[in-house]
Amino acid sequence: MRFINKCLCFVAIFGAANAGGPTLVLLDNLAIKETHSIFFKTLQDSGYTLTFKLADDANLQLSKYGEYLYQHLIIFAPTVEEFGGVVCVETITDFIDGGGNVLVAGSPQFGDILHELASECGFEIDEEDSAVIDHLNYDVSDNGYHTKIVADSVNLIDAPAIVGNKNVSPLLYQGTGLIADTENPLILRLLTASSSAYSYNPQTPIKDYPHAVGKSTLLIAALQARNNARAVFSGSLYFFSDEAFTSPIQKAQGGQKYEKSGNEAVATMIARWVFKENGVIRVSAVHHHRVGESEPPAAYTIMDDVVYSIDVQKLAGDKWVPYETNDLQLEFVRIDPFIRMTMKPVGNGRYEARFKIPDVYGVYQFKVDYTRIGLTHLYSTTQVSVRPLQHTQYERFIPSAFPYYVSAFSMMGGVFLFSLVFLHYKEDTKPKSE
Amino acid sequence: MLPNKTSVINTRKDMFPDKKSTSKQMKTSTLTNAAGLNSLITFTVLLLAWISGFASRLFAVIRFESIIHEFDPWFNYRATAYMVQHGFYNFLNWFDERAWYPLGRIVGGTVYPGLMITSGSIHYILHSLNIPVHIRDICVFLAPIFSGLTAISTYLLTKEIWSAGAGLFAACFIAIVPGYISRSVAGSYDNEGIAIFALQITYYLWVKSVKTGSIFWASMTALSYFYMVSAWGGYVFIINLIPLHVFALLIMNRFSNRLFTSYTTFYILGLLLSMQIPFVGFQPIRTSEHMAAGGVFGLLIFVATLRHLRTVLTKSEMKYFGGVVAVIAAILLLILICLTYAGIVAPWSGRFYSLWDTGYAKIHIPIIASVSEHQPTTWFSFFFDLHILVTTFPVGLWYCIKRINDERVFVILYAISAVYFAGVMVRLMLTLTPVVCMLAGIAFSDLLELFFKEEDSERDRSNNGSEEESEEERERSPGRALYDKAGKLRRMRHERPRGNGDGLGVNLRNGVVIGAFVLMMMFTLHCTWITSNAYSSPSIVLASYSNDGGRAILDDFREAYYWLAQNTPIDARIMSWWDYGYQIAGMANRTTLVDNNTWNNSHIALVGKAMSSNESAAYEIMTSLDVDYVLVIFGGMIGYSGDDVNKFLWMVRIAEGEHPQDIRESDYFTERGEFRVDSEGSPTLLNSLMYKLSYYRFGEVKIDYRSPSGYDRTRNAEIGNKNFQLTYLEEAYTTEHWLVRIYRVKKPNEFNRPSIPISKRIVARNANSYVSKKTPRRKKGYIKGRPTIIKGQKPQRKPT
Repeated sequence: MRFINKCLCFVAIFGAANAGGPTLVLLDNLAIKETHSIFFKTLQDSGYTLTFKLADDANLQLSKYGEYLYQHLIIFAPTVEEFGGVVCVETITDFIDGGGNVLVAGSPQFGDILHELASECGFEIDEEDSAVIDHLNYDVSDNGYHTKIVADSVNLIDAPAIVGNKNVSPLLYQGTGLIADTENPLILRLLTASSSAYSYNPQTPIKDYPHAVGKSTLLIAALQARNNARAVFSGSLYFFSDEAFTSPIQKAQGGQKYEKSGNEAVATMIARWVFKENGVIRVSAVHHHRVGESEPPAAYTIMDDVVYSIDVQKLAGDKWVPYETNDLQLEFVRIDPFIRMTMKPVGNGRYEARFKIPDVYGVYQFKVDYTRIGLTHLYSTTQVSVRPLQHTQYERFIPSAFPYYVSAFSMMGGVFLFSLVFLHYKEDTKPKSE
Repeated sequence: MLPNKTSVINTRKDMFPDKKSTSKQMKTSTLTNAAGLNSLITFTVLLLAWISGFASRLFAVIRFESIIHEFDPWFNYRATAYMVQHGFYNFLNWFDERAWYPLGRIVGGTVYPGLMITSGSIHYILHSLNIPVHIRDICVFLAPIFSGLTAISTYLLTKEIWSAGAGLFAACFIAIVPGYISRSVAGSYDNEGIAIFALQITYYLWVKSVKTGSIFWASMTALSYFYMVSAWGGYVFIINLIPLHVFALLIMNRFSNRLFTSYTTFYILGLLLSMQIPFVGFQPIRTSEHMAAGGVFGLLIFVATLRHLRTVLTKSEMKYFGGVVAVIAAILLLILICLTYAGIVAPWSGRFYSLWDTGYAKIHIPIIASVSEHQPTTWFSFFFDLHILVTTFPVGLWYCIKRINDERVFVILYAISAVYFAGVMVRLMLTLTPVVCMLAGIAFSDLLELFFKEEDSERDRSNNGSEEESEEERERSPGRALYDKAGKLRRMRHERPRGNGDGLGVNLRNGVVIGAFVLMMMFTLHCTWITSNAYSSPSIVLASYSNDGGRAILDDFREAYYWLAQNTPIDARIMSWWDYGYQIAGMANRTTLVDNNTWNNSHIALVGKAMSSNESAAYEIMTSLDVDYVLVIFGGMIGYSGDDVNKFLWMVRIAEGEHPQDIRESDYFTERGEFRVDSEGSPTLLNSLMYKLSYYRFGEVKIDYRSPSGYDRTRNAEIGNKNFQLTYLEEAYTTEHWLVRIYRVKKPNEFNRPSIPISKRIVARNANSYVSKKTPRRKKGYIKGRPTIIKGQKPQRKPT
């Protein structure tokens, strides 16, 4: 009877509809503002309002009266031990849980508080003073510790939404390594080190096995939380610096020389992704009804033919445009999926599925659960009831029952005739018996 | 002829205990007034029985308020309200998506609609008479009103079986007997309330039709049986008892054409009508419970044929015919067995087995055994529910056996089978109660007849009316003459020495009469006391009495349900143990996972598994079932013993039945096989979801200064697991006396970032290496190795 239509869209429209937005940049000294000017300039050009503050500023705050003052947070303060004001790990994680995006870059001198923050997001930063060392892929300008490494662009994640085109020059990287929680499905390994790299303190002899070795050493890692808030951790602040953006790059051991590293391109793309300019999709409308109707009924009946359609949109700049793909699936679920099918794109970002409801009554959900690397999580459920046939909807005259109909009616006729005969017979017999 | 009218009636009754006394009196002109008085007395007594029965069922309404009680009545009320609002056909097709989420429940096809239709039609009639009564009031007062009808039908039945006097006694007894009141107090809006009436009226009509042999009465029996089928699953009792009666009569060689007519008519009509109830459907021809009726039907026709043939055929032909019959019977039996094995005829259902083997349910169907009203009856409850009747009813039974006739065979079978079933299940005390009242009524009536006779014994002898009467009766029904006469004669012989007895003077008579009246007064007092104290609690509102006699109302259930109704989204799904399903649906109007209609054992087992698993395993089950809130009943704070922790072992058992690899009952006991919640309890129990939800934050509570904190007053133990946190749930609401606790299940997206706990981190670091330097006044942070600029001199601030 009651029609329950529930649409859960966990697409964070929060702050995503307009690119840019207020951004807080925390630095450990104001010189970083100058040494990383190209990166900040790119952001400002694409519409972000950057507020630079020192990380130990006594007046730091992320929210006021329960409202967040910023949509995004950049922490370029590797050595901070304690944030000023009311900011601490908890406020930052609350900020992420409230939908805010965070970009953190560090160096071998990562402070404790950033270690803690990373663990809250499912990463670990290697021990203090350790750095990623690669004796095969280091830059020519390296100072002898082999810590200024050249990361091949093939080690970037296979997701154009995050890192853009993978065919860029190699990347310069100098900093510590990250370790990801292997059981955490939300972690994206944006850039891994090559197989010859490891992470250790370059100035001490190696006594025990390094925490991160080879490809499991993450250089840049990201977390897309379940509320679609994004957090990117980079072990290297140098990665975003003007120097790394502009310097030529060449592997010390016979590598090809590139005039300019790929850092700028990749860093810009990552920044655009983490601040939700790229890879944001949402459900804009869900329709479902019986075939031949246009409004959803109060309850479906078993074995109805039903049409379900969903409109998916993608954020492009300031506008939502239709999102086109061909792998969107629909499930019709009552505890277990009874139907799972790929929906047909019918153009303009609309996908449609037509199917016959199974012969099982109950409370079902139309469920679209679309998870792709680099895209926000698309999740939509619509609850509908499927009721059994009403007493008037059953077949009235069943062919297999015809013998019974015949026998019933012949019985009635027989009784009628018999009673006639009986009455008649009685009249006849009376004179005979007498 | 006789000077005193009342004594006339008494003597008459004594002399003709059978029936027809009134009609006989009609014939004599002087007695017309007596007949009028007779019916006036009958009318008055029945009216008083009705009124007193109605009044004594109102304790709950007067003490509390006009509300629906307990569990099942809430569903019945909800269904009735739905039917009144949406009409009968929509009710018939009602698919309730709010129950048994996500399976849903077809209400129309899984309910006995008689109750709803009865109150719905009363509502309709009253409204068409422009009497605006709310449907709830009709539901609340339906059972007390029907108790009056039960009294009348009991009167009619007893009158048919014995005499009008016994009938009046029986009617008075049934009006106030606790065994029946327990199911029919105001607010107890359940099937049994109207079903006992239907049961008695069906039996009355059946006895009537056996006596008269008329198709009319047999059809009326079938109609009344139809009403019974529509009202209560206990109709199976009728459809087995009546064939049993017929069968017994056949064995006793009491076959008559009256019996043939009435049973064949009743069986065919009753069968067809009972199949019209959607919930019953094809059961009457497919399940073993109903097979006896069909078998007796065949047997009866067979016997009738045989009797007819005997008049037609010679002896030698009969012998040959007997062989043929035996073969056919054997073949039929074989076919029935084959059909049972092939699955076309369903074997006995589990509930039915548990009637024969009381240990069966405990082993095979824990869900049946878990219900308290399915437990075997204790001796105590026989006395509690029936009081003096339990001792007098064997006397009535003995009288019936002594003066046997067709309809008394029926009441004997009724009594014996009902006593057996009442011994098996507490709940079936209800079917025993009417027959106990009837037989006790017979006993009392006979006793008083004997001792009220006073000096009329002389006249009795001189009149010798009973001889005439039995003579007449013999003429009227020659078939039974031998038996009846024998019974009568024996009685007369037995009675005479007593009646003349030298010592049985006035004193003894008066003594016995006074004794009987004292007994009945005590019975009345007992009934009132029991009704007031034991059976008039609505169980959704609890009352506690303090030392000074003051009364405190614990309204926690409604408080919690009201909170749910006001604070949760309209489609929120509430998980609770099935006992509370109907109440949540009825009072809070929210979706439930399982409820008191325990039709799907595996779904209940899933909920039981969630309750008995640890938190993370339970969370998986709860998310797969889209649970939003969990509701538990916790009595440890106020010492309420019917809470979920005490029911917990049943949840474990039911869950174990379906998931033996995950849940094992033995894990929940200590090594010594004890179920205890204190620190010696098994760790599985102390970490189960039910334990945690019941005792969350209870460790902080100190009830009084003598007991330790976290002292459970129901189980008299200090709880073993005190300071724990909930990961996947959060406390949403706890009622005033902690009786109902509601928790919200966190959604997966609330576990936004799976963080790495310290124990699992690879990089070992001293987590608290940095000591905060912030003070309330100085909120500057700290950056390692940052050059600080010192401007001039500043006095050192004292650390606070």
